[in-house]
Amino acid sequence: MDAGRRHFARAFRRNGREWLTFLLFAAPNLVLFAVFTYWPILRSFTLSFTKWNLLSPAPKWAGLTNYRALFVDPIFWRVALNTLIYAVTVVTVAQACAFLLALLLNRPLRGRAVFRTVAFLPHVTTTAVAALVWVIVLHPHYGPLSGLYATLGVNGPNWLESTGLALLAVIAVGIWKEIGFASLFFLAGLQGLPADCYEAAALDGARPLSRLWHITIPLMSPVIFFLLVTGFIAATKAFDSVAIMTEGGPVYPASSTYVYHLYKVGFRDFQAGLASALACVFFIITVAITALQFRMASRWVHYGE
Amino acid sequence: MANKRLKAIASHTVLIAASLLFIAPFAWMLSTSLKHESRIFAKPGEPPQWIPTTDLLDEQGRPLVTYQGKTGVKVGRQEGGRYLVEVDGRRVEANEEEFESQQRLGLHWQNYVEAFQIINFPRNLKNTLFVCFSVVIGTLLSCSLVAYSFSRIEWPGRDFCFILVLATMMIPYQVMLIPLFVLYKNLGWTGSFKPLIIPAFLGTPFYIFLLRQFFMGIPQDLSAAARIDGCSEFGIYARIILPLSKPALATTALFTFLFEWGDFLNPLVFLQDDRHHTLALALQQFQSQHESLWGPLMAMSTVITLPIILLFFLTQKTFIQGITLTGLKG
Repeated sequence: MDAGRRHFARAFRRNGREWLTFLLFAAPNLVLFAVFTYWPILRSFTLSFTKWNLLSPAPKWAGLTNYRALFVDPIFWRVALNTLIYAVTVVTVAQACAFLLALLLNRPLRGRAVFRTVAFLPHVTTTAVAALVWVIVLHPHYGPLSGLYATLGVNGPNWLESTGLALLAVIAVGIWKEIGFASLFFLAGLQGLPADCYEAAALDGARPLSRLWHITIPLMSPVIFFLLVTGFIAATKAFDSVAIMTEGGPVYPASSTYVYHLYKVGFRDFQAGLASALACVFFIITVAITALQFRMASRWVHYGE
Repeated sequence: MANKRLKAIASHTVLIAASLLFIAPFAWMLSTSLKHESRIFAKPGEPPQWIPTTDLLDEQGRPLVTYQGKTGVKVGRQEGGRYLVEVDGRRVEANEEEFESQQRLGLHWQNYVEAFQIINFPRNLKNTLFVCFSVVIGTLLSCSLVAYSFSRIEWPGRDFCFILVLATMMIPYQVMLIPLFVLYKNLGWTGSFKPLIIPAFLGTPFYIFLLRQFFMGIPQDLSAAARIDGCSEFGIYARIILPLSKPALATTALFTFLFEWGDFLNPLVFLQDDRHHTLALALQQFQSQHESLWGPLMAMSTVITLPIILLFFLTQKTFIQGITLTGLKG
């Protein structure tokens, strides 16, 4: 006991200054940060076993009712599927386009900086505004496509009023916003590739396509991986564009995504318990997908030495 | 050589086509914001009108038209939908397809005036700027302090704590939304700006990470030398580390500002009173209430977007720097 105290005293004399500076600097922040982050996560978990309308004084214990209700609800499955379709389409299409654009941009080309700027504009634009602008762009009468439909002599589809197409419209906005952002990353990655690999390949007489496949893509795999993981996780959280463009409609949940559904259940239908169950499932799915991506990554991502 | 030029032309064609796709929605927004209501609705069979126009009028205010290659004026409409057109002092009846009304550039600025009348623009702008600047200040202060303690001070459990902070980056924010709502409600914060601003003063994991990475790159010898000279820890932070970290701080400020300017979910959930609405939220209210007013709506959208585009043009270097800083070295 005494020895322990002496040891502590010695450690404190040695590190005391550092401790105090730490306490002064970051401890209050970190403690409050924990309260505002870890507490809500745990609370989400406990709330998911209750029934509560956010207004009555106390949540009522409900056991697994919420989870059971969730898994038999066709809307839940539809929303999950929509989110998966949204995320997979946005990530694959946007990144494929972005990669091609970055390849084009990665050579001495006039107006490269201008193009980079233009491609990035959709990404910095407020999503609410972008979504609203797309509402009018896709509008069968107000949009620039209306003339095209008329020339072709077809009745243009009313994208946002069609159960089949509304989700596609939301996806289009997602892709439009993502391409420039991803291509900026790809370009930065391409510019960091070692030139000697290419010189060696050129000496071996490798064709451009085989150079792309055997050198560029393996060397770029860390960047591709980073963008896949972050892009996918960001895409599963799509909310703003759904809220502005369709509110999940035209017939709910035709174009609803997971987070929009969570918001609707929690803050429109006042089912806090059910929404918390949705949140917990979402958390588990996110962790699982990330873990899966990391496991798969060991097969194809090459980090240099 | 010819092959090379062909390649360059092909690349440019693809890039220009892609640029047009990126720009077109903005152009349409701007164009619609300046169109009179009668021009927003495209006539069937006509190409989309990118440049807003208005009818060209003669001295008496009658619309000028071209009829059989000559200039005339439209003077009236007959029963049965035919128009009366006066050419060379002669009046003829003509179908709508037989003449073309002459157009000139016509910008309908009235949309902007109307947009400002429909929403309380000064108040919404003031709210947005207040939230943006408070959050930027809060984020810079808290994240730099915490990042400093994670990178320049040795304290027991430091790295473990850092991992705990980083781990929260993995957690979707929406998972915490309902408990946070309850927490803010119990604290009496809902219906004020506090739920948007105060968390920023506690730190944001992403920026803590960004700044810590940057601080780690500053030689520890600098701190050691300053300590020998009798500089306090806070002095080192404020007078040595912060001035050396301007690029990382600028990136943090810029990203935070942009995010807050466009944030939609948090204001939607936590701001209940019209008095507190930010621009992005006001835009949504506007849309759900007056969906037919496309002109003013696009005018408002343009007003919200312009500062962002301007800011982006002015700070491009910081932007690209920030992206390489956070993404590729992490």
